[in-house]
Amino acid sequence: MNAVQTLKLTKEFDGLVAVNGVDLEIQKGELFSLLGPNGAGKTTTIRMLCCLLKPTRGTASILGYDIAEEPFEIKKLIGVSPQDTILSERLNCWENLALIGKVHGLSSEEVKGRSQELLETMGLIERAKDQVRKFSGGMKRRLSIAMALVSDPQVLFLDEPTLGLDPQARRAIWEYIAELKGKKTILLTTHYMEEADFLSERIGIIDEGKVVALGTPQELKTNLLEMRSMVVSTENLTAEVIEGLRSKYSRLEMAKGRLRISHKDLDFKEIVDYLHSRGVTVYSAALDQPTLEDAFIQITGKELRD
Amino acid sequence: MKFWEIGKRNLKEIYRNPVLLGFLLGMPLAFMLVFCAAAGGGQASPIAISIVDEDLSQTSSDFIQYLGTIEAIKLNEPINSEKTEAQEDLESGKIAFYLLIPPGFEEAKQTQQTVNLELYYKEADPMTGLQLKPIIEAVGFEFLGVSPPLNVELKGTQSTIKNPAVNFYAPGIAVFGLMILVSTAAEIIASDREKGFLARMFTTPARPWDFILGYSLPFIPVLIISTLIYLGVGMALGLTVVGNLGHAFLIFFLIGLCAIGIGMIVGSLVKSESQAGVSWLFIVPIAMISGTMFTVEYMPSAVKSVAGALPFIHAVDASRAVLSGSSFSAITLDIFWLIGWAAVLFAVGIVLFRRTMVS
Repeated sequence: MNAVQTLKLTKEFDGLVAVNGVDLEIQKGELFSLLGPNGAGKTTTIRMLCCLLKPTRGTASILGYDIAEEPFEIKKLIGVSPQDTILSERLNCWENLALIGKVHGLSSEEVKGRSQELLETMGLIERAKDQVRKFSGGMKRRLSIAMALVSDPQVLFLDEPTLGLDPQARRAIWEYIAELKGKKTILLTTHYMEEADFLSERIGIIDEGKVVALGTPQELKTNLLEMRSMVVSTENLTAEVIEGLRSKYSRLEMAKGRLRISHKDLDFKEIVDYLHSRGVTVYSAALDQPTLEDAFIQITGKELRD
Repeated sequence: MKFWEIGKRNLKEIYRNPVLLGFLLGMPLAFMLVFCAAAGGGQASPIAISIVDEDLSQTSSDFIQYLGTIEAIKLNEPINSEKTEAQEDLESGKIAFYLLIPPGFEEAKQTQQTVNLELYYKEADPMTGLQLKPIIEAVGFEFLGVSPPLNVELKGTQSTIKNPAVNFYAPGIAVFGLMILVSTAAEIIASDREKGFLARMFTTPARPWDFILGYSLPFIPVLIISTLIYLGVGMALGLTVVGNLGHAFLIFFLIGLCAIGIGMIVGSLVKSESQAGVSWLFIVPIAMISGTMFTVEYMPSAVKSVAGALPFIHAVDASRAVLSGSSFSAITLDIFWLIGWAAVLFAVGIVLFRRTMVS
């Protein structure tokens, strides 16, 4: 039995199709990411799976329980960390965790033990008695994930778990989520390529409500791509040269003074020659691995922005 | 006991929020101070009254002298023997009302027949006349030793009530103040819905009644403390409690529950905290037609019927009655009406809340 299964799952809001016939199968213990831009239908899918939204069409089940028929059974088995960090602001960490734990039917001793463990893991134990309204965004996000875990759920939904965090805080949360791999079934939504790449065993790329590609990060990067990339360090690069390259190649990025060019059947020599002919000094040029973002652009025809 | 956990969370959110707590508990204090002080408080000014004595008998003279000894009344001089001058003064606004002792007053007393007194006041200002009427009836009864059947109850009470205005205003203002719990309760639910906290809680295995009870629970201590403030400050400012204070407390508690129940319904229907302000659209009109601030005696019967179907007028009438000495049996129907409304409101709240848990 799959931990999460959806069949033609569809949600419409006043005629606007937010989720369009999504079919997913997520195995027990798998970490699966739904990757897509804002408004792609990621959160709507999660809200249907958490029994907060009724599907317009199609069905879904969590550990064999139907989301429309048996929501109460499902709610006993899931933990949810919503996209917006939603906490009781005037409660401290212990009290926030106790609220969720006890509503799930845990005893005071169980709640205390699990809270202690989670607060230590999340690095919040020092501030555990402070009201959470005084916390930074990263601390709130870590507590929100701890709240999703306090009931020891079998299926964990993490909706954009690192949205708006600085790279350091994001990395800390990734490491903790990575530790849960194999122990919990996790459905994570994100629009950060590197997050999906780093954490996921499988990724579903979702765009305009449809799952347009499905596979492991490596499969998406290699099997789906015939694209090649190269990175060039240059001097005297003019706007005119950049526009010339942009008109010729699928993808062009400037980062840290380096130019990254991606294109199907990329001709290494042709690019270097072109740059030389335009008076650009080329210090170095090397082939690069395709990224998940390259795959995303090839599949959806769009760039993914924060 | 999931509702208990939700209730504990909500209680902490309220009592750790000084602004909200200050509003909830400061408002009863402010209301009673303002209204009771406006009504004169414990040192109420005596009501000035002109007398027209058409009987001109020894008995009528003694009665006027007796009226002069009553603290709540101040007699205007001189005493007229016919009403023309007093009527002119009333119409010109020089006096608010006058009492006419008609011919046959002494004879009626001596022959044990019905004694008539006429209290004239401006119809545009019925409030003062209505306040004065029971005092005159009570004084008349004490002096004459007879009582028109309708005024028997007044005799015992009015003679001990220090300030009838405070006894009129205080229960009404307490009920109006408790009605504000409608908007506060609705706003707290709506705020949690707007912030997404409710959506998060809806992913847990809590049932609709856990939420309704959990959101009502923190208001119970607020309700108890508010009621004690209304009664305590009211008494400090001149509210005379003739009847059973416990019965008055029960009435305020029940109408507070009704207000919280309405708040749960509004909170279930609105999507944001600002939308919860819609509750004021019916709080104020219902407070008006329920007699919280002035008498409903002159309202059209249709309006009175609407008010009578709602719980608030029952709380106002019953609390005024028990504070003025009525027995529990006299307010039993009102109590049942309030209990029934509270039960219905909470049941409707649970049904509506269930519908908002999935969209």
